[in-house]
Amino acid sequence: MNCNVAIVWMHDYLDGELPRDDMAALKTHLIACPSCRSRFEQLQQTEAMAFGMVGSGMDAVLDEKQSALLTERIMSQLPAKRAGKPNAFAAWIRKHPAVTVAAVFAFVMLGSFTTMWEQNTQLSVSGTDLAQVVIEGNTVTIPEGARVKGDLTIENGKANVLGDVDGNVTVIDGQLYQASTAHIAGQTKEIDQALDWFWYKVTQSISKLAY
Amino acid sequence: MVKSLEARLARLALKGDQSAFAEIVSLYQDKLYHMAYRMLYNRQEAEDVVQDTFLRVYKNLDRYDDTMKFSTWIYRIATNLCIDRLRKRKPSYSLDAESSEHEGLDGYSMIPSDNRTPESETLLSETQRIIHQAIETLPAKYKSVMVLRYLQDMSLQEIGDVLDMPVTTIKTRVHRGREFLRKKLEHKL
Ligand SMILES: [Zn+2]
Repeated sequence: MNCNVAIVWMHDYLDGELPRDDMAALKTHLIACPSCRSRFEQLQQTEAMAFGMVGSGMDAVLDEKQSALLTERIMSQLPAKRAGKPNAFAAWIRKHPAVTVAAVFAFVMLGSFTTMWEQNTQLSVSGTDLAQVVIEGNTVTIPEGARVKGDLTIENGKANVLGDVDGNVTVIDGQLYQASTAHIAGQTKEIDQALDWFWYKVTQSISKLAY
Repeated sequence: MVKSLEARLARLALKGDQSAFAEIVSLYQDKLYHMAYRMLYNRQEAEDVVQDTFLRVYKNLDRYDDTMKFSTWIYRIATNLCIDRLRKRKPSYSLDAESSEHEGLDGYSMIPSDNRTPESETLLSETQRIIHQAIETLPAKYKSVMVLRYLQDMSLQEIGDVLDMPVTTIKTRVHRGREFLRKKLEHKL
């Protein structure tokens, strides 16, 4: 047997993956080859020591008190409210990741959607182009002949679309009215269910997840 | 199919049962911390990673696919967070190019000798210290494999699942990592 092959087999053996027949052949080689034999001994000892590192080192293991403190930190950081039942909108969003990213981007970039859901009963309008949008009370109007570039999201208010929207229109906890003159290039969506913070955070984190 | 304890806890937590989630935390917190510490060699960072891992788990409970082992899922999140931190920390050394993965077991000379010793490790025996140091100096992709293998006692297949890589790649990395440790310990053996 070639020593290079023997070395690969030593590793396979330590991985517990060397077939029985090969084990016999490796053994024969080790008896005949002193340098492989000493290497094998070193590898076996290395393996034992590597497994032995469990629990060593002062900072490597948390004591009871540190562990309890960390648990407390973990539990206290959890979002207070979470979805109790499947959220139709969340499901829809998951099927349209590109929309989600765009929407979240718009929310974040405009900074117009910064309050937590619990405190938020005020009208909130967000979109990439709000120049021609008219807001009166809790009614958001896109006048006839006006054109909104990109998506538009309205929360806690009425959307009155008379003009054009190039993207999607999403109305959360409100109503959408489209006049005959209206033209919405993207999708329209009305969500009556409470948009909870959990959903928001989940969709926010979609783009961050690396797996 | 009988659902695992974790899968059942995950379902309860998803319905809003905080104590079920606390149980998941107690099952994994210390193991994850230990792993993160061995990857990062920094207590604060290791704690942050553990905290972040559970936050992600919590937020994504509804996306947990229970055909995958819960442990695989949670370790995947935690190792990814560790690897991210290691990458941000400093440019990683090149132990080898990905393409030379199967060229053999030699060629460890490129690994820099890093003699930093975390102060907390001074009480350890010489060999343990050498092992820790050797693992600390490994590039992230080797470090994660070695830590999962030796600290978490995972099989090559499980490591492959966690890191989402073929077993053959894991195997090569374990072999190279083991040779690297052997060389570091050579004169002590
Ligand atoms: Zn030989």
